[in-house]
Amino acid sequence: MASTVLTIPKLQMSSTEGTLAEWLVEDGALVQAGQPIYTLETDKAVQEIEAPVSGRLVQKKPAGETYPVGTEIGEIVAE
Amino acid sequence: MASTTRDLGIDPAVLVEIYRQMSRIHEVDKAIQAGLSSGRFQFTYWPMTGQEAIPAAIAPLVTPEDYMLTIYRGIHDQVAKGVPLKGLFAEALGRRDGVNKGKGGSPHISHPPSGSMLTTAIVGGNTVIANGLALANKMRGTRRVTIANFGDGATSIGTLHEAMNLAGVWKLPVIFLCQNNQIGEYTPIPEYTASKDFASRAAAYGFKGVRLDGNDPIAFHNAMKEIIAEVRDGHGPVFVEAVTMRLSQHAGVGWTTHLSKEELERAKADWPVPKTRKLLLEAGVLTAEELDAIDQAARKEVEEAIEFALASPVTPAEEMLVDVYGDPEIPPRRHQRVKRAAERLPQGERKMMAMYEAIQDAIEISLELDPEVFYLGEDIGDPPGGVFRCFKGLKQRYPERIRPTPIAEQAIIGCATGAAIAGMRPVAEIMFIDFIGVCLDQISNHAAKQRYMSGSATHVPMTIRTITGGGLGGLGAQHSQALEAILLHQPGLKVVYPSTPTDAKGLLLSCIFDDDPCVQIESMLLNYTTREEVPLGDYRIPIGVAAVRREGSDISLITYGWHVRVCLQVAEELAKEGISCEVIDLRTLLPLDYDRILSSVEKTGRALVVHAATEFCGLGSEIAATINEELFAKLKAPAARFGAAYAPIAYSRAIEDAQIPNAGTIAERVRELLKY
Ligand SMILES: Cc1ncc(C[n+]2csc(CCOP(=O)(O)OP(=O)(O)O)c2C)c(N)n1
Ligand SMILES: [Mg+2]
Repeated sequence: MASTVLTIPKLQMSSTEGTLAEWLVEDGALVQAGQPIYTLETDKAVQEIEAPVSGRLVQKKPAGETYPVGTEIGEIVAE
Repeated sequence: MASTTRDLGIDPAVLVEIYRQMSRIHEVDKAIQAGLSSGRFQFTYWPMTGQEAIPAAIAPLVTPEDYMLTIYRGIHDQVAKGVPLKGLFAEALGRRDGVNKGKGGSPHISHPPSGSMLTTAIVGGNTVIANGLALANKMRGTRRVTIANFGDGATSIGTLHEAMNLAGVWKLPVIFLCQNNQIGEYTPIPEYTASKDFASRAAAYGFKGVRLDGNDPIAFHNAMKEIIAEVRDGHGPVFVEAVTMRLSQHAGVGWTTHLSKEELERAKADWPVPKTRKLLLEAGVLTAEELDAIDQAARKEVEEAIEFALASPVTPAEEMLVDVYGDPEIPPRRHQRVKRAAERLPQGERKMMAMYEAIQDAIEISLELDPEVFYLGEDIGDPPGGVFRCFKGLKQRYPERIRPTPIAEQAIIGCATGAAIAGMRPVAEIMFIDFIGVCLDQISNHAAKQRYMSGSATHVPMTIRTITGGGLGGLGAQHSQALEAILLHQPGLKVVYPSTPTDAKGLLLSCIFDDDPCVQIESMLLNYTTREEVPLGDYRIPIGVAAVRREGSDISLITYGWHVRVCLQVAEELAKEGISCEVIDLRTLLPLDYDRILSSVEKTGRALVVHAATEFCGLGSEIAATINEELFAKLKAPAARFGAAYAPIAYSRAIEDAQIPNAGTIAERVRELLKY
């Protein structure tokens, strides 16, 4: 089963960390590519991050915390 | 393809082609955003979501022979211009197989085979360079068009003003394409301008400006078709304001947050990618399956490109000094001691010439040698034939190749850079070196870095001649300074500084026919007061070769420019006291001739570097430090430097004489060094 890892993205040249403000989809739910799956807060903006692929979301980190760029926060497992 | 049921105002096959390009752009954008947000890869991305129709609608109207320049955000421009996606992705990821060897990255793509010539991350910086590419096309008699893409924010910066003014007066075959996405970074219109539109500005420069809907691929294509044809036909430049909307963030991923939810929804309704897809379907041009096939093919092309890029190695550190210059031996580095052969001057006829006459001789020879050499600068036509008289009578003989310019140094350097990227050998005159401040962005961010940023896909064989007014007195702080250190701090430039008419001619010819950007600094004082017998005809003084002007055994005086003359006087004086000075004329400041410098100091055991430039952080400190490190055990005294005091050059003769090293103060420093 192919899986796509989700990590805290580096969205700005200056960003080193981001806050996983909220999971918008429940753990284990099916998501469609392009569907917003969590909100990310950085010093520049709050934005919704969309699922890069379709599949089943596995959450690996709790919301409400700030993580360094590159931290694995979950994955999407292809059905 | 189904037969059309309604008149679209465009050949349906063309609209399909436009959609195919939009689909490719959209798939690239989607894949990058997905890859960044999932953490599959990291790079700096400025998304162009919403602006896809502009380059897609132009694509069927141009060929790879036509030139395109764009900005960091212009990945859509690159895709539509035909930059191969594999090389594009590998470049964005900093990989060896990138179109620019991973040295330029996402904001600095160049791919001449598809006509993508330069990409800048300096707002407005590419517009003056577009002029140079367009000028090359015009001088070569081609029908190629050059399109410079930039954002609405660039309409605030002076560079664009200089570009448009020059393009207007020279009727250049260039299109200034302002992709007005209605915001510059985080500041939207009208917060940064009171202008109602940008297109109407063109009239003030004497050419046409049009405001088009950049989200309507059909109308935009049709309008651009006429404009491009006009420009090809030689009717001069056109300014196009393509109104669009940035749907994404300034950088990174996700929808923009500068619009309210309702505004964003409205903007998305006008998003050309889904809009055009829907139109093709509804008009019966393509079936849903045919559209899917287009998108599917684009997705496959993108996925293959990403896999290719991820498999390519990160460009290794060993590549660091490659592509700074054409020759990897040029960048200064520790323990470097390159041996370069000295010149052999022709034995034939000579003629008495002042330095400025020797320079004119070089100019004439270069014009005879190569039809791709041309000159541009302020007042270089007759009269006055250049304010330093190096162009007397040349404009009449070479009307197209002696090009007097507006008073616009960015336009001058940018134009030279663009023409050089096209392969010509332009020579720009910057009247006084003090004026490099107003064009330093063009010199350092563009001309000097372009070879490196493009991984040598392009290079910039241009020459800048500039004058330093110091030593004459009375010119004041803004026409007298010695600013060579600023240029030496910019990897990518070569800098020469002749002290004799023979060298001024031979070094200038070497610079003009060198494949990297060179600056020849000339001394106004020497230009009119130095005369000697100069060999006639073509000869070259090699770049990077110093000359021993007087042999000696107690100390090496290492200098250049008008201080060669001063140091020779000092040597004459000190000889009477029994002190034997060797005088080295560097002639080239970059690359330095460390072999001849160190050989001299190995013999004398003492060194003093003398220059008119500010001593603090000057070239003298660099040379003295190297001598001290390389020859520590052999030195009888620490190698020292002597430059100007840390003050602007004063108008008062008494201050200027005292603030710059003079024969008296230099002799004093030498006597001190002999006391160790
Ligand atoms: C000379 C210069 N000043 C400032 C910046 C920082 N900067 C980067 S992008 C940008 C906004 C440019 O807006 P616009 O020209 O409208 O282009 P867009 O990003 O909207 O495509 C700014 C100010 C820069 N790169 N260059
Ligand atoms: Mg903008």
